[in-house]
Amino acid sequence: MKHIAWQWLAISSVLIAALAASAETRPQYGGTLHVSMLDAPLSLDPADRATPDSFGRRSLTELIFETLVSVDKSGRATPVLADSWQTRGGRRWQFRIRHNVWFHDGSPLTAESVAASLRFANPAWNVTADRDSVIVESDLAEQNLLADLALSRNAIAKRDSDKLSGTGPFHIVDWQPGKELALGAEENCWRGRPFLDGIEIEMGRGFHDQMTALQLGKADLIEVAPEQTRRVSQQGQVLVSSAPMELLALVFGQDGSSPDEKSLREALGWSVERGSMRDVLLQGTGQATGSILPGWMSGYGFVFPTTADLARARSLRDQTHVSANWKLGYDGSDPMNRLLAERISLNARDAGLSLQPTSGGNADLRLMRIPLASTDPWSALQIALAEIGLPPMESKGHSIEDLYAAETAVLATGRVIPLFHLPVSYASVSNLKNWSLRPDGSWNLGDAWLESARP
Amino acid sequence: MSAVSGSYNLGIPNAISNSVSGVPGTARPACSGMPVLVLVLVSIWILATPAAAVDWSVPEQQLARKIVAVTGSGPMALQFENRSSIGRRDSEIIENGLHSTLETMGVRFSEAEHASSSVTITLSENLTSYVWVAQITKPGAETAVAMVSIPRPAWTGSALDSVPLSLRKTLLWSQVSPILDVAVLEENATPTRIAVLDPEKISVYRSQNGRWLEEQSAGIVHANSWPRDLRGRLVAARDHLEAYLPGIVCHSGGSLNLSCNETDDPWPLLAAGLSGNAPVFASVGSSGVASSGIAPEQAFFSSARNFFNGTLTPAIRNVSPGKFYSAAAIAHDKSVLWLFAGVDGQVHFFDGGPERIVHLSWGSDVTSVRTSCGAGWQVLADRAGDDVSDSLRAYEFPDRDPVAVSAPVDFPGPISALWTEARGDTTVAVAKNTETGSYEAYRVAVACNQ
Repeated sequence: MKHIAWQWLAISSVLIAALAASAETRPQYGGTLHVSMLDAPLSLDPADRATPDSFGRRSLTELIFETLVSVDKSGRATPVLADSWQTRGGRRWQFRIRHNVWFHDGSPLTAESVAASLRFANPAWNVTADRDSVIVESDLAEQNLLADLALSRNAIAKRDSDKLSGTGPFHIVDWQPGKELALGAEENCWRGRPFLDGIEIEMGRGFHDQMTALQLGKADLIEVAPEQTRRVSQQGQVLVSSAPMELLALVFGQDGSSPDEKSLREALGWSVERGSMRDVLLQGTGQATGSILPGWMSGYGFVFPTTADLARARSLRDQTHVSANWKLGYDGSDPMNRLLAERISLNARDAGLSLQPTSGGNADLRLMRIPLASTDPWSALQIALAEIGLPPMESKGHSIEDLYAAETAVLATGRVIPLFHLPVSYASVSNLKNWSLRPDGSWNLGDAWLESARP
Repeated sequence: MSAVSGSYNLGIPNAISNSVSGVPGTARPACSGMPVLVLVLVSIWILATPAAAVDWSVPEQQLARKIVAVTGSGPMALQFENRSSIGRRDSEIIENGLHSTLETMGVRFSEAEHASSSVTITLSENLTSYVWVAQITKPGAETAVAMVSIPRPAWTGSALDSVPLSLRKTLLWSQVSPILDVAVLEENATPTRIAVLDPEKISVYRSQNGRWLEEQSAGIVHANSWPRDLRGRLVAARDHLEAYLPGIVCHSGGSLNLSCNETDDPWPLLAAGLSGNAPVFASVGSSGVASSGIAPEQAFFSSARNFFNGTLTPAIRNVSPGKFYSAAAIAHDKSVLWLFAGVDGQVHFFDGGPERIVHLSWGSDVTSVRTSCGAGWQVLADRAGDDVSDSLRAYEFPDRDPVAVSAPVDFPGPISALWTEARGDTTVAVAKNTETGSYEAYRVAVACNQ
């Protein structure tokens, strides 16, 4: 029996090659899963805003904590710690809290503990407990509240001095910030004890080191760099990729101060040869984009051009009375960032723009990777704006045209030049069964099991 | 995700209202007693016309109005592109509809060189909606964009069983929440009264005039959380039901008064009918077969896991299978052959001699049936494989090793339960449909006309 099926197939690509020919059985209990990851978060608190959002951080959060609701593969809210909800016009939301759920410290999940957690994560929210329900109120209709509550940063945590407790399938056994995390199976998990006995996660490991660890049998689940996904699948390893939901973009630190500055930024956008960069540097992975939101999320991404137009770029530059002499910053921990930055600089030079790549601190614009936090386009756009450093947008409505107008307005500021949407990819050993990716790109290991384990 | 006023969880469009009983829930009728042929024909028609019922006229008019607001009624060059999952037939319907609607709004169509505006309409989509985008180009002006969105309908198709014949499967019941087992309580040509065991309750449904109505329902009280990969067994005795779940056994009195106790009592390992004396609901009838020589056997199930712990009662001489997921027994050469699908992924055989451990391409669910076909006994086993689909196949044992005697019959997702029905000649197989996410319970019968 293969009871708990792979989920999330609708918007993920699953590349599985040469699976070991062994008998499939019901999920087996036992075993410790060894995971490697690039991120090295210093805090496990889901609401800690000092720790940047990343797919790795989301994965860790969702092993330990749970949200009130989650978003399924169709983008619809489904109950988790809230078993039902209702709203009056979007201004007052009432969530009934699931009974018979316990934190890892043995205390019960209550409306008070949920309200306290949400207030901690969102100081501006008006959250109160009312018997077995939590009430969220605001002056304006909160159309996106369900999507926001599904974000891992709104996972419900109990904070006692420096001790964190969640309701997820695994509890913290040992935590060395930024280095290692050991998790144990939570026997009293309301969804049932997970099949794995534990998970050991090594952090801050580069992609190459992770692949070596997988090949040496020291890791069971690793991250794969976008440009390596094709090679990994050709090597016959189990590879799982999300929908393209990481935005790679050029982000300026300041608004364009003059029409000339905006024209030069527009010229830079037209100069970038996304197609060849994708084909060569990214080995065909991901999608070239001219929009912040990927097309599968918005439905209109194709409207924004992605092909380079050098003549147009030069024309725009020639119309200006200033010269572009920018420093392009990038994160040097990933060699791909340097290659991309150098290629973008070459394209810019062809358009008569000067762009100097640097992995140092001072830069006019940066090559940024922005993990889109939600499959809900409105939530994803708002959070992307925060990552870019732009204020939240105020939309007049909630239609698809309103969304398009909001995104167009953001792009018109010249603060961001979208380049690619990349999937997040993972490779695993063949005897790791029944694990999947959530719509937000994080692992779902609650139902995973190791075939070699013995109950 | 839209805000919904006044109703719990109406923001979950996938939740299916209960057309069976009218009470909140997600159950929906399966076969409703309809002949299988009719069901298949209906299913073929549904698959062949996936969106025939969709009325596109409203979004057509909305988008046309937005286009005309930009272009006016001058000559227009119009192009269409379909980037969505909308099928070709519907795409053509939409294209024609938009064409007509624009014409009724005064738009004249022409070649690009004679047009005052050029419009490209793209049918696209996102996770929740179809998105129709019009890119409008007029000389000397920037490209304007107009769009409308239309909520995408829930998936309504169903998998078709196109695999003939030795094994026949008939859909008994389907619901969104997990099905652990189904027992047929009454039947004529098709089941007319069934009991469905799910993690929280036993529900009895009766078919009336082609519709399934909930007759009774009783909750299963349990203090502890269920283990993942929850399993359960529903046994229809002569005048009551018994439900076995990890650490819990429930007995129904009259009118489905359910009494559940925390207990480690063993579960029945084989259907009563396999012993030749099936004490089933009288209206179902007995199997009418002679004693098989296989004694009723029980086994202890781990209260916090998904397997039997290996202890049988009464103990069988020379049979010690270790932990196992499922078991089957067949009368074989005046002895009994026991098979156990072990948690080690191997099949353990006991036939009076030494234990044989064989690595077969089977999954972890096996059971046996006693039929009037072939050798009279068959073992049904699911297959090892991926997590997306599954199949069952019948095997016989002319000698010591299994020989496949049927083609595999496919299921729309992994099989999560496989129990022989009380009479012993059919099984209930539950699969989780990977397309719809619903659980579907099938009766699987061996047909001997092949």
